[in-house]
Amino acid sequence: MLRYIFKRIVMLIPVLLGVTFIVFTLLQITPGDPAKAILGPTADAAAVAQLREEMGLNEPFLTQYGRFVYKLVFEQDMGRSYSSRQPVMSLIMQAFPATLKLAAFAVAIAVVIGIPLGIISAIKQYSIFDNTALILGLIGISMPVFWLGMLMILVFAARLKWFPSSGFSTFRHMVLPSIALSAQSVAVIMRMTRSSMLEVIRQDYIRTARAKGQTERKVITKHALRNALMPIVTTVGLQFGALLGGAVLTESVFTIPGIGRMMVEAIRMKDFPLVQGAVLFIALAFSLVNLFVDILYAYINPRIRSQYK
Amino acid sequence: MKKQRISVLLVLVMLVSLFGMIHPAVLANPEDNILRVATAYDAKSLDPVAVNDVASTNVMRQIYEPLIDIDNEGKVVQGGASLAESYEMVDDKTYRFKLYEGVHFHNGEELKAEDVAFSLERAQKSPQVQHIFGDIDVDTIKCIDDYTIEFSLKEVNTPFLTSLAHSGGYIVNKKFVEEAGDDFGTTQVCGTGPFKFVSWSKNDRVVLEKFDDYHGEEPKLDGIEIIPMPQPSSRLLALEAGDVDMAYELAPMDLAKVEDNPDLDLVRIIENSTQYLGFNNEKEPFNDIRVRKAFAYVIDMPKIVEAVTSGLGQVATGPMGPNIKYSLSKDLEPHEIDLEKAKELMKEAGLEDGFKVTLSTNEKKERVDMAQIIKNMLEPLNVEVEIEILEWSAYLDALSNGDVEMFQIGWSPAVPDPDMALWAPLSSFTIGEGANFSRYNNPKIDELLLKGRSLEDGEEREKVYEEIQNIILDDQPWIFEYNQEASIGVNKNVENFHVTPFSYQSLFTINFKK
Repeated sequence: MLRYIFKRIVMLIPVLLGVTFIVFTLLQITPGDPAKAILGPTADAAAVAQLREEMGLNEPFLTQYGRFVYKLVFEQDMGRSYSSRQPVMSLIMQAFPATLKLAAFAVAIAVVIGIPLGIISAIKQYSIFDNTALILGLIGISMPVFWLGMLMILVFAARLKWFPSSGFSTFRHMVLPSIALSAQSVAVIMRMTRSSMLEVIRQDYIRTARAKGQTERKVITKHALRNALMPIVTTVGLQFGALLGGAVLTESVFTIPGIGRMMVEAIRMKDFPLVQGAVLFIALAFSLVNLFVDILYAYINPRIRSQYK
Repeated sequence: MKKQRISVLLVLVMLVSLFGMIHPAVLANPEDNILRVATAYDAKSLDPVAVNDVASTNVMRQIYEPLIDIDNEGKVVQGGASLAESYEMVDDKTYRFKLYEGVHFHNGEELKAEDVAFSLERAQKSPQVQHIFGDIDVDTIKCIDDYTIEFSLKEVNTPFLTSLAHSGGYIVNKKFVEEAGDDFGTTQVCGTGPFKFVSWSKNDRVVLEKFDDYHGEEPKLDGIEIIPMPQPSSRLLALEAGDVDMAYELAPMDLAKVEDNPDLDLVRIIENSTQYLGFNNEKEPFNDIRVRKAFAYVIDMPKIVEAVTSGLGQVATGPMGPNIKYSLSKDLEPHEIDLEKAKELMKEAGLEDGFKVTLSTNEKKERVDMAQIIKNMLEPLNVEVEIEILEWSAYLDALSNGDVEMFQIGWSPAVPDPDMALWAPLSSFTIGEGANFSRYNNPKIDELLLKGRSLEDGEEREKVYEEIQNIILDDQPWIFEYNQEASIGVNKNVENFHVTPFSYQSLFTINFKK
């Protein structure tokens, strides 16, 4: 198992290098001059030229990329943001905790609500409960998160004053944005749980378990759910990974200083080092989440555990 | 069964605890004498020479001070939050400033002439503010004594004095900046202003606290928090909920909500910026004045501005904002609309069959909406407009390179002086090199602009700028759109807020009602 984990970590290196190369190339070929974006329309040509020289933008593409990789690998330095001159690593470390908290809470809510709903929907297929859950799921997937977020702020913050309208420093601050962000994930996880459970509860071994006199609760939790978990775990992992990329709309509506907002601003300002650093970090985070999900498979399914050995 | 009951009980206890935490009284802001302000953008840097944007200046104005201060009309004022006790012009290019004695920086160091010398040299060399301070001849900077400094400009430039109020001219402590190195302006910040830097969490907030050793009038607030909230609706909701005391840049659709709220005031002021529809005066067909004038006769700007800004902003009638000295705008009417005259001009220009043209803009919502209406208004002239929306940095590239035919942009003078309002966007010296994106080239305008720079404020200087404005009105290199208007929501508890038309605000005079 440890060897498998080690192999997966080593395989991350070419993946991450590839990501940085693609992002670097895309930033270079998109129109627009970072120096002009930073200086704005007031800048004269001399000022733009001076800033380009200071930022090393006149050097060849491969020289710039090579220097970035060298500093990253040997100095653990992602450079400084063009617009704020702050170290990129420090900016990411400031922004990432907020995104991590938001994603974690949103997924936790989605799992706590979505999985039980999905199980009950599957057990009571075609019942009123099932149909209601499916409709709620459809609403959850369809509802724009920024609209839901603003509605929640209007009702629970501005009118009822139960929660703050913005920020992310305390548990109370996390409630509204996490619920708003979890709406889609609840729906996705609920539907995946339902279809996965439906597939499993029709299996022969479930009929056997019932025939042996096991309680319905044990049949569902010990036999059915365990076998249905694999696709559910995959879905939860993918949801979490996607949210780690920054829930831009939620962060904007609730004024959360997360990676999503930071990335949008960095792209707008053509802040190459910050965009590269943030994308690299998100790619790493996403890859680690996938690795964790694969390890979890081994825990859930002994057959997979033996393959990893 | 027993286990189930215990589980249910535990869940109930947790839920009750959760709701117990949500008591409204616990969530109300305590009276901590800290002003919280919601702005649209986060600062980029708190190094005065590293940036030239409103968001950064909104924070820096509370921390730093310039040599001289100006009022809303751009006139130099003595006292206030500034560092020069007096100044004189030694000759038409040389300034001498006498500093207040006993002024301290936030790190305890006393302000000396060498700090001013250091600050001005940094400004002169910085690409971000070179267009304002580049005229300083750094070889002439000399500290006559600890509190007296003298320097000359490379050329005569009378508006330069007003420029010293710009954020690029904020005075920093030499020792502190040298020790802080690359961290200056991010985690290490030090000025002489009424508030000192405590912390900056990017995209979250900047926290400032009162500087007890401030040389001027003691601030009545204990602290200020400046909180970036990109969404206008979020700023409004935070203001309504009492999470912030002031909210900048409210959306037009939100103004009525603030006005109708008994706990809030709406503060408005026309700013110094001018938004305009520019023509590429070097390229056909806009190198023909008849075509530009024909367009002006059909583009009904008051209707467009009303539709797009919902009354937030004022129709621009000239190249300078109405609050800038010598501006004729306040006495002018919007351009007359006359379709027949327009058609006649197009016929004279040999273009009565119309033509195709591209109207370029960036993704700013007001510009995109205006572009659509302008497109419709040009149809009677058989002009087919294709709207091209470019991302901001690509748009700046296209403007600088002259790869546009018609375009929309704004010009906001960094300092409220007519030279700053007109030189950069309209002198031929800045074509391809600066902000003259319309590539308007009129030797008479250049001559007058140079003359305006050399004159002291007075009747003669006023006449020069009146003549410039009249020529621009005749030549029509642009169609003026509107002057932006600041819209700030303020809690009624806030007193002594003096709004400025500079886009950034000074907050240090504010206090809460008792």
